[in-house]
Amino acid sequence: MAGFKGTREAFAQALIDAAAQDDSIMFVSPDSLKAMRATKFAELHPDQYVEVGIAEQGAVDTAAGLAACGLKPVVGTYAGFMTMRACEQMRTFVAYPDLNVKFVGINSGLLGGEREGVTHQFYEDLGILSNIPNFTIFTPADAAQTYHAVRKALEIEGPVYVRAGSGREADVFDLDVPFSMDGITVLKEYGQDTLLLSSGFVLDRVLAAAEMLEKEGIHVTVGDVNILYGKNTEKLLKVISAFDRIVTVEDHNVNGGLGAYISKLVCEHEPKKVTRIGLTTFGESGPAKELADYYGFSPENISNTVKNGLK
Amino acid sequence: MNTAELKQMADRLRMTAVEMVYKGKDGHPGPALSIADIMAVLYFDEMRLDPSNPDWEDRDRFILSKGHACPIYYAALSERGYFGEKVKDFKLRALGSMFQGHPTMQKTKGVDMTSGSLGNGIAVACGMAIAGKYRKKDYYVYTIVGDGELQEGVCWEGINTAAAHKLDNLIVFADKNGWQSGGSVEDTIGSNNLKERFEAFGWHAQEINGHDIDAIKAAIAEAKKAAGKPSVIVCDCVKGKGLSFMENNNAWHKGVPSDEQYQTALKELGGAE
Repeated sequence: MAGFKGTREAFAQALIDAAAQDDSIMFVSPDSLKAMRATKFAELHPDQYVEVGIAEQGAVDTAAGLAACGLKPVVGTYAGFMTMRACEQMRTFVAYPDLNVKFVGINSGLLGGEREGVTHQFYEDLGILSNIPNFTIFTPADAAQTYHAVRKALEIEGPVYVRAGSGREADVFDLDVPFSMDGITVLKEYGQDTLLLSSGFVLDRVLAAAEMLEKEGIHVTVGDVNILYGKNTEKLLKVISAFDRIVTVEDHNVNGGLGAYISKLVCEHEPKKVTRIGLTTFGESGPAKELADYYGFSPENISNTVKNGLK
Repeated sequence: MNTAELKQMADRLRMTAVEMVYKGKDGHPGPALSIADIMAVLYFDEMRLDPSNPDWEDRDRFILSKGHACPIYYAALSERGYFGEKVKDFKLRALGSMFQGHPTMQKTKGVDMTSGSLGNGIAVACGMAIAGKYRKKDYYVYTIVGDGELQEGVCWEGINTAAAHKLDNLIVFADKNGWQSGGSVEDTIGSNNLKERFEAFGWHAQEINGHDIDAIKAAIAEAKKAAGKPSVIVCDCVKGKGLSFMENNNAWHKGVPSDEQYQTALKELGGAE
């Protein structure tokens, strides 16, 4: 398997590879074919490409109709245009009847919509979907994981949302590492001082923070949480139980995503201090790296947050 | 069924719907009665169905986009044999009932799509129609939308998609009864020129009397001849049709008949069997 330029290219390749073995896969596009880098899929499978024009609510409804007839539709477009504009369609016509529709939301987070500004940056999508029963929420950490997340989404039954970016994601995982259904992958185990949990495309920054801390004699463990609000929490709870302090990092509002999820698990099972790094305001336009640093995702800020928690 | 039998069936469905609302003490009888004749033609003459195999992949599909009219839908499914014996007490909207306040495909046999949030039926029907074409099936997809409902923007997303994909296996009935929840369609938001609007979107469009069984049958036959185009049959209907105290009285958009009104219904509709 070749590497990917970004998560969108990874999505398109996953779609093409899955469709080579499964003729029930349909791509429903609210004029998102180009944005999703899926032009080649449409050339290979013209009958499995359903264009509805710039009409996200109609796209989700159409996907529901396809799924009700036994097909496996994938709706891919900007995360917020799906989860906000077509939120009700995702809830009432897909999640409620538990139809087999897959969603891939690009431009998620600040990093996803960096230059575009707030209209095209979406840091509320996970909070919205986490309130809707029947949704499985995947937050892959890089392009290779996005590829495997999309393949996995197409293998399991029911509504799945895969959170994707726009090409600013740093590669962390090896290409052939499958998307774990355990909900957490521990990547570094330097020690027990703090558990640093990451979700999505900030993982490289979290790992960099762990390295910085290690050099200063603070030994942390880093875990990538790739499924939010999943049914299988066994491994996650086991990892959490070994630590007194947890810091969560996510390119999403601090409410509704990773930090909220971990806080909930901790409260329900084993109360301990959780510090959440995430967004509390709207973002703005800017170059990806500068923007992420400015809004709190610099390795320095992550590292300082850990240190402050240990004081 | 012949025309007289279908007329009789439509009134039987009406009575069952009224009884359902009367016993359940909640529901939308006016919008249900408006479409009784269309439902009778679809479920007892036109649609290819097998009530013993509700998930049959070659069946015609139906979406009640104006889902609040579901008492008439439940009545039709019951009469058609989806629940074995005809249902005697639907327990409409009661806790634990399979007859929810709006149609729910996971709970009610024969319901092809959940509905009730207005505006979505046509776009969902597009997906079903596209699936039929992709799998080379010859089924039709039927949808009933309300004229008030057509104010929802997402309707027109679906209407656009259907024309673009040349979905000639999709037939939409627009229940033009002139009323919506808050008042008349004209007073609420202006013109109700549905036929012209659909035509402008590239649809094959007809307008008929929605209570004329033969006209409904003929319009469906005509719609099936419109190669390469989705079809709309704009049905001039009377909200609350069939009951003197309910016809064109928008207070019956939602409402429960009194004991006396229920007796009147039994007289005017001939009683449910």
